[in-house]
Amino acid sequence: MPIVLAPLNQNLRIVRIVADEKLKKHLESLGITVNGEITVLSASGGSVVCKIKEGRIALDKELSTKIFVA
Amino acid sequence: MNRFALAGNPNCGKTTLFNSLTGSTAHVGNWPGVTVDKRDGVYKRLPEQVAIVDLPGIYSLSPYTPEEVIARNYILDEKPDCVINIVDATNLERNLYLTTQIMEIDVPMVVALNMMDAVEKVGDKIDEKELEKRLGVPVVKISALKETGLKELMEKAYKVSKTPREGITVLGDTDVAHLIGDVKIALKGQNVENPLFHAIKLVENDEIEVGMHKETLPMIEEFKKTFKNDTFGADFEALVADARYKYISKNFAPVIQRKNKEKVKMTASDKADKVLTHKIWGIPIFLVVLFLIFHLTFSENFFYLNGFNDSQAWMPSLAENEAFLEKDENGNIVYKKDDDGNYILDYYIDDEGKYVTTRPEEDGDWEQGENGYWGQKIPVYTYGARWLATIYDGTLYSPGVVINNIWNDMIVGDLFGLVKTGVENIGMADWATGLINDGILEGLAAVLSFLPPILVLFMFFSILEDSGYMARIAFILDRMFRKFGLSGRAFLPMIMGFGCSVPAMINTRTLADEKERTATVRVIPFFSCGAKLPILTAVAGALVMGTGMSADVITYSMYLLGIITAIVSVLLMRSTSLKGETPPFIMELPSYHMPQFKNLMAHLWDKTKHFVKKAFTIILASTIVIWVLTHFDFAWRLLGDEEINNSILASVSKLVQPLFTPLGFGSQLGEYGWVFVLAAVSGLIAKENVIASFGTLGACLLAAAGTEGSSLAGVASDLAMCNVSAEAGIGAVKAMIIATNITPAALIAFIAFNMTTIPCFAAVATAKAELQNNNRYKWTLLFWIATSYVVATLVYTIGSWWWTAFVWAVVAAAVVTVIVMINKGMFKKKS
Repeated sequence: MPIVLAPLNQNLRIVRIVADEKLKKHLESLGITVNGEITVLSASGGSVVCKIKEGRIALDKELSTKIFVA
Repeated sequence: MNRFALAGNPNCGKTTLFNSLTGSTAHVGNWPGVTVDKRDGVYKRLPEQVAIVDLPGIYSLSPYTPEEVIARNYILDEKPDCVINIVDATNLERNLYLTTQIMEIDVPMVVALNMMDAVEKVGDKIDEKELEKRLGVPVVKISALKETGLKELMEKAYKVSKTPREGITVLGDTDVAHLIGDVKIALKGQNVENPLFHAIKLVENDEIEVGMHKETLPMIEEFKKTFKNDTFGADFEALVADARYKYISKNFAPVIQRKNKEKVKMTASDKADKVLTHKIWGIPIFLVVLFLIFHLTFSENFFYLNGFNDSQAWMPSLAENEAFLEKDENGNIVYKKDDDGNYILDYYIDDEGKYVTTRPEEDGDWEQGENGYWGQKIPVYTYGARWLATIYDGTLYSPGVVINNIWNDMIVGDLFGLVKTGVENIGMADWATGLINDGILEGLAAVLSFLPPILVLFMFFSILEDSGYMARIAFILDRMFRKFGLSGRAFLPMIMGFGCSVPAMINTRTLADEKERTATVRVIPFFSCGAKLPILTAVAGALVMGTGMSADVITYSMYLLGIITAIVSVLLMRSTSLKGETPPFIMELPSYHMPQFKNLMAHLWDKTKHFVKKAFTIILASTIVIWVLTHFDFAWRLLGDEEINNSILASVSKLVQPLFTPLGFGSQLGEYGWVFVLAAVSGLIAKENVIASFGTLGACLLAAAGTEGSSLAGVASDLAMCNVSAEAGIGAVKAMIIATNITPAALIAFIAFNMTTIPCFAAVATAKAELQNNNRYKWTLLFWIATSYVVATLVYTIGSWWWTAFVWAVVAAAVVTVIVMINKGMFKKKS
């Protein structure tokens, strides 16, 4: 499921990222990689704040429908 | 000279370290992307001097935004003698991702584990010796903020800079290790520098690399055909990224001993974010925070303690205060005297609201009355009472106003008064005294008098930046505006614009999308900068006297007007000339922390230096030019103050004056109306000039009114009430109001015009450089002129005749409809 719909405060694993090459690279350098762990801290109106490694990263609505977790 | 480069993730403390090492005061803030250009400094505490180069923050060596390219190219092309890789120890794994990439370059490097104080505060420990062993490069624990470990770091860096280092990789055990090895050998054969690094970037299919090494590509394509991985297929970049993180988690992460083993835990920052980034409350909270800032800076009614309007006011004014009055043996009200026999206050107000004094003074019309002399008088306090009046006088002032009062009433006013008296006593020719006193000193005093509000406002914005709230503002605004084509990232440079447009425009380099960048550069001047603040406060101050509105509300609304104009303009541009997808919003939200006192002071000191320097150079020169050109006519005949209407500048200004009629400060203002036009135009050099021109011209008007036969003789007594020197800008604006009869609506339109029109020279030059496209730059100039004209006309017409709001609403609706229809393709011919 995309992270917009994911349960809050749970350790999740990213399985798929649908984005163009450049954006995907940027996400990777921020720690958002396939196989990586992610925790959604808050989701309000589609935008999410998630915890990746020790960092807090804010993502807009469109992006958060493109990152899929299991 | 040896060069050490500071590289690391955004917001990991590079610039803080740079400032600590070099003693600089470069701008720092607690949000990612403050530094967008490289910057040099010198570190002197090593056997030889070392140049320190601060680079923009990067998450990896595959750049995403323009400023990241700068950092990458510096490390690769300029070949620093050592790279100091700053690692945020509170987010070790993510930061080491970049470290593993720098390690692949053949450059000496040291890892600086920054923010160790924050790590130790939560009770975690990092074994840096173990990390050093595993990484294969020296590791030093530091705190850039507390300035610990810096000496050791520099000594290590100095030592390693003496011996070359060959790149090493953590990808040795992956499926692509062979390929990397082969490509590396091929590149080495072509004498490419840093073969390992380039080989890996090529395998990652990095945009820049692919362009640089075309001949090696077939080799990788060949390999890809035979390659199969279950998770990633042949997506090498994802595979490499995953491999890096895996290696880091497995080998480097164990050096941290966590006190709290629990994985998902809400930190204090997370809890604060629940409220501050709340879906519904986020925006209102932001607006309240903004209002508080303006209230604390400008309000003359601290927290509305004195009621919300005049009828609720209960605080007694100093002049009426019994503390200064007593009854004598005959029952008459007289003033108290201090121990030296001097009056504490030299007047009081009687039942009729008239000033009464036993000592009529030189100014004002005094008549003999029962209790003494009575008449009209500008309050004059004794020295002690003046100090008290800076904090309280019939109302409690906000901290910003108190500082302002102390600076202006106690320091600048007295100082300039003394100097002016001194100049008069020298006994120079009248014109020379006029030039120095009215031209130079009044102009300078008018500008310098605004230092306090600029600094106080700037301090609050620094606190916003330093606390970490800035990044949240971007986030909540993104949620609101992205459907209209504006991403939250663009708000960060815009908010920087409240300080100065120049660094703000440069900061737009953090925006990955070219069109969004152009739109942002164009609207940054609408975020009223420090130099425009004097226009705002002076005019607002004068309006307070005339209309009874409160200064903080006027200033707050004007700032909001600027913000709204900016947002509306971006939305219009993004749906017409600069159409495009809204770029994705990805932003790291840094932990909140207490603003650093040292940091704040550095910011303020920098601002003060810049401001004072400008006052004594550009503005000083401009005031002289303006005085001269308003005191000579085209025949180069020296004119008296009462003749300035015939001067060169007056003639030229009068030519363009009709153009400003729809804005309220054009032909309707009569013979002295050109001063507003002149002030606005002088603002193109530096915005402080607007108020400096007011100061100079206000002083001339006062002098003119005193002359026999002057057209201003009728309002001479009103003009005499304008204390141009003491209240600096405000007094000058009041003088202008009296001389021209300008309406409040036109005055507000005047502010709006200055806020949104072409910014100062420096900002225009920066915009030109940042837009990198001459055509775009020309349109930008036109855009500024058009916007300011429309906005000011709107303000003036609605302010003068409220019903015109409906006309404007209809026009706006029509424009929006046409744009929407065009965008939906309704006007396209069917083929």
